[in-house]
Amino acid sequence: MNDIPEGDLLVILRHGPHGNSWLREGLDAALVAAAFGQRVSLLFLGEGVMALLKDQQEGPLGQKGTQPMLEMLGMYDIETLLVDRRALSERGIEVDDLCVSVSLVEGEAIAGALAHHRQILNF
Amino acid sequence: MILHILNRSPSASRVFQQTLDAMGPEDRLLLIEDAVQGALPQLVRYFEPVIGRLFALREDLASRGLDGRCDSRVMVVDVDGFVTLTEEADKTVSWF
Amino acid sequence: MRYALLVQGGPYSHQASHSALRFAEAVLARGHHLATVFFYHDGVYNAARLSAPPQDEPHLLDAWRRLHEDHGTELLVCIAAGLRRGLLDEREAARHGKQGHSLEAPFELTGLGQLIEVGRSHDRLVTFSP
Repeated sequence: MNDIPEGDLLVILRHGPHGNSWLREGLDAALVAAAFGQRVSLLFLGEGVMALLKDQQEGPLGQKGTQPMLEMLGMYDIETLLVDRRALSERGIEVDDLCVSVSLVEGEAIAGALAHHRQILNF
Repeated sequence: MILHILNRSPSASRVFQQTLDAMGPEDRLLLIEDAVQGALPQLVRYFEPVIGRLFALREDLASRGLDGRCDSRVMVVDVDGFVTLTEEADKTVSWF
Repeated sequence: MRYALLVQGGPYSHQASHSALRFAEAVLARGHHLATVFFYHDGVYNAARLSAPPQDEPHLLDAWRRLHEDHGTELLVCIAAGLRRGLLDEREAARHGKQGHSLEAPFELTGLGQLIEVGRSHDRLVTFSP
């Protein structure tokens, strides 16, 4: 896949919502970087794809989900959302089940995404 | 060239697979903390695709009683060597 | 080279802080400049000023302070991650109506934007996570 854009920062998200704060804090970092004018891409690997599933809700005590943050990505010009195709298929999730539009990646394209960005933060 | 740093044992966590998937053909992998178990001859098979580019941190091996038990194909470096690996790489990515 | 570290593991819960400090010493010994350590996620607990480990264990808080005193390394704590976890300097404590504070100089509460700036302006950023 050669249409992965060059970027300043690649944020890798490998955890789902609610169970821990990696996803929230990773998305925070992405949004702040974009607000600072960096060209930011997101790469969802493994359990990270759970972040993108439709119909998520609040957790206990009104614990915030991450869907509102995902909806803000467009406003921050974060448009490159790369998703590990195998992680979706392992979980029986189709692209239509996702709440945002994404580009599927697999194989060498994943390493390519890392190589194409100057800086990487892995959450 | 990217230096990937992994701190989870391949017998306890599947994050090693994500790490390998994300590695380019020239990238290197350094095992630290609990990941140094992956340098044992019995577990090194998980890292077969990156043999020759696979390093393990001596101090973390020694503190776990594993120094001298490594597979000979794993390059053992001390923390000084860890710094050298970061100097030689364009950037680093930590997997946990 | 200008180095920065990102520490995301809580002290005494994970090896991340110990690994980061050991790496920091080696970076300095090789003649590099360790300009910044940024604390995020549970790493912010490294800044807890009342940390009182047993005498026969490494004193991580003091080790971070020494990095600042001896090498001028700035110790930056993400304010959003810190406040949620009870890490407040005097100013934030007053602002939130809290008695006492839990973080003090040389640690500094700072925005997450500083991490992005650090990544941009340093030659190497190495992360230590739990």
